Amino acid sequence: MMRTILSLLAALMLWAMPALAQSSGPLRIEITEGVIEPMPYAVPDFVADGAAGAEFGRNIARVIASDLSGTGLFREIPAQAHIGRITSFDSPVQFADWRAVNAQALITGAVSIDGSGRLVVRFRIYDVFAGQELGSGLQFVGTQDGWRRMAHKVADQVYSRITGEGGYFDSRVVFVAESGPKDQRAKRLALMDYDGANLSYLTDSSSIVLAPRFSPTGDRVIYTSYETGFPQIYVLDVASVGRRALPTPEGTMSFAPRFAPDGRSLVYSLTQGGNTDIYRMDIASGTSTRLTTAPSIETAPSFSPDGSQIVFESDRSGTPQLYIMSAGGGDARRISAGQGRYGTPVWSPRGDLIAFTKQSKGRFHIGVMRLDGSEERLLTASFLDEGPTWAPNGRVIMFTRETQGAGGQAGLYSVDISGRNLKQVPTGTGASDPSWSPLQN
Amino acid sequence: MNTGQIISGAGHLALIGWALIGGVFRSDPLPFEVVEATAISTEEYAALIARQSAPEAAAVVDTPEPPAPGEAAPGLSSEADAAPESAPPEASGTPPPDATPDVSEVTPPAPAEVADAAPVLEVPQEDVAIMVPEVSRRPEPRPAPRVAPEPVAQPEPDVKVDEVARPEVTPDESAEVVQEPSEASAPEEAATEIVTEAEKPKETAPSTSLRPKPRPARPAAVAQETPTEAPKPTPTETPKPAPVQPKTDQNSVNAALAAALGGGQQTTERPAGPPLTSGEKDALRVAVQQCWNVGSLSSEALATTVVVTVGMAEDGKPKTGSIRMLSSSGGSDAAARQAFEAARRAIIRCGANGFNLPVEKYDQWRDIEMTFNPERMRIK
Repeated sequence: MMRTILSLLAALMLWAMPALAQSSGPLRIEITEGVIEPMPYAVPDFVADGAAGAEFGRNIARVIASDLSGTGLFREIPAQAHIGRITSFDSPVQFADWRAVNAQALITGAVSIDGSGRLVVRFRIYDVFAGQELGSGLQFVGTQDGWRRMAHKVADQVYSRITGEGGYFDSRVVFVAESGPKDQRAKRLALMDYDGANLSYLTDSSSIVLAPRFSPTGDRVIYTSYETGFPQIYVLDVASVGRRALPTPEGTMSFAPRFAPDGRSLVYSLTQGGNTDIYRMDIASGTSTRLTTAPSIETAPSFSPDGSQIVFESDRSGTPQLYIMSAGGGDARRISAGQGRYGTPVWSPRGDLIAFTKQSKGRFHIGVMRLDGSEERLLTASFLDEGPTWAPNGRVIMFTRETQGAGGQAGLYSVDISGRNLKQVPTGTGASDPSWSPLQN
Repeated sequence: MNTGQIISGAGHLALIGWALIGGVFRSDPLPFEVVEATAISTEEYAALIARQSAPEAAAVVDTPEPPAPGEAAPGLSSEADAAPESAPPEASGTPPPDATPDVSEVTPPAPAEVADAAPVLEVPQEDVAIMVPEVSRRPEPRPAPRVAPEPVAQPEPDVKVDEVARPEVTPDESAEVVQEPSEASAPEEAATEIVTEAEKPKETAPSTSLRPKPRPARPAAVAQETPTEAPKPTPTETPKPAPVQPKTDQNSVNAALAAALGGGQQTTERPAGPPLTSGEKDALRVAVQQCWNVGSLSSEALATTVVVTVGMAEDGKPKTGSIRMLSSSGGSDAAARQAFEAARRAIIRCGANGFNLPVEKYDQWRDIEMTFNPERMRIK
């Protein structure tokens, strides 16, 4: 009997051990290939309290959809395809209805007008397939006129929550609005939302203006104007539209200004005696410091986000190339290495890339490269592309594209740094030299 | 001349001299055989050859002499030869006629009964090979220094392969309880690795060791656990003595074994099944990656690899609540969260109708760890 039990035990051990060995750990697989396609989402009209709010609710939802779909990263499921209806902001979401239309993200919201006439926008973001809310709901309060900005802010939150990087929808762009034929073109500074809405003008077209640049806080703009017959740098307060010229020595030309990250100083090019070099100016005192001393042309300086370095364009090697030097001047190292002419470098707000204009084989390109010149990627190609500017999140570049011929017109375009989603920015007029503001507060 | 050249010259001279004198170039005569020969004359040789080759022709040929002129021609007789005598054949006697058959006893055959129903044919039984028990000892394989590349047929098992070992039962007439005769069976032998004789290490390792500690509890697992699971011991708890089994019946032995070996996890009767084949794994991988959309991920999240664990239901559908991030590398927490959410969406979306996994191997894919590595997607 004892022997039988022992043999039974042994048999059980033999049976159990391989099973244990095989199922000792979970199945492991590695996924290395995925797909790159826009994420489908649904944003039904925001639920409104009253009739006044209903229009806001609809319009805000449309602006959010425009923002998200405009990135190329998201694709809206049109309202006609919706099965589910959001009738109450606080009632639970029937995820099955949204799964059925393959909406991976769902944005619901409510609009109301409080006792003081202010607009209150609340919203939630859901991961439909996980059946849970992404983050927690938020609420914005603002004037009724500012409903677009509130919609942009909601879209920024959605974008940030899903992609993991900051949004750029609640931002503005200053640019040179152009009208008239090429040989007699009127130019003036214009300001608009990043998506072309709310266009306004900052200067009249009595004199030529060039290269406006936002301050790091977005409250001021510096630009070059030919108001006195010579190019000269002006600083303009966006709110009051008041402006003043910055002091430069007589008989010199100053241009290509750009703010330092601290907003208190700027770098610019100054041509004196046929030689162009880079200077740094303290805005309050108006004193300038020379940063380069080469006999070649140094221009288009741009600070790194931390303010420690400057990337600029120089033809000291024979052709225009890109160089990086310390913010205090001194030795510069060349970073562009390819064939062609490089110009108008701009440091990314993230600090990891430099956008530039490249002229090669009769074509113009907007491209990006790393700080050491590696991984150069040309994002566009056309008859004339130039003047890149970064979106606040460092993911999108806006630039000027001019069409060929006497009737050719300049317009603003944007492109993702992956080279995807190239599209024209609606300006309603000829436009060039854009400068993207930081996100508004 | 320096010393080196002198030494070299002397050495070369000595070598050449030894080669000449020492008989390096002298060759020994080749070995040969001595055969005795005798001299024969030409005539003898010719005779010898002629005897061997041509048959001896008749020396004298009789040729009729031609008749002399004027000699009379020989007379020709035309008489026929006498016929040989032969006895005439005798007529044989006529055989007696056969006796007439007696038909009085014969009855006509009865008409055959024809049935309307078709005859029922018995299905021929399949040929059944008679199992001859092997009684002779199986020859042991001769050890070979190398492994042949050709696969060889698997030898027939000595005993019937079964999941458990069963002793052979032979009918014992004297026993009170009649047992059905059955063949002896034993589980197939297996090892965790192939060890050749040359590599076979000496058994220096201790034969017993402490059981490894269980893996620490996953942080988010607490909320997911069902109350039926065994409570995890906390450090403050004192280990309780094992419950004493009052009776060692079959079930309690089984349960104790399972508890000792697998912490009570292996109580299902279904075998774990063989591991998933690479094809089955690939199918799962392809199914998941079809839904792994990294298009809306930030560049930082695209540089983040996340390891996600998912519990699977038996119908191949992922348990949504069980999807958790085990670890991440290459990015910040925020980036890892985005990467995890994209991975979770991929699992849920493409698993909504159930992944195509073999249900008989459910224990192999009850829990799946998926590593989402977007490195190759960054450059696209």
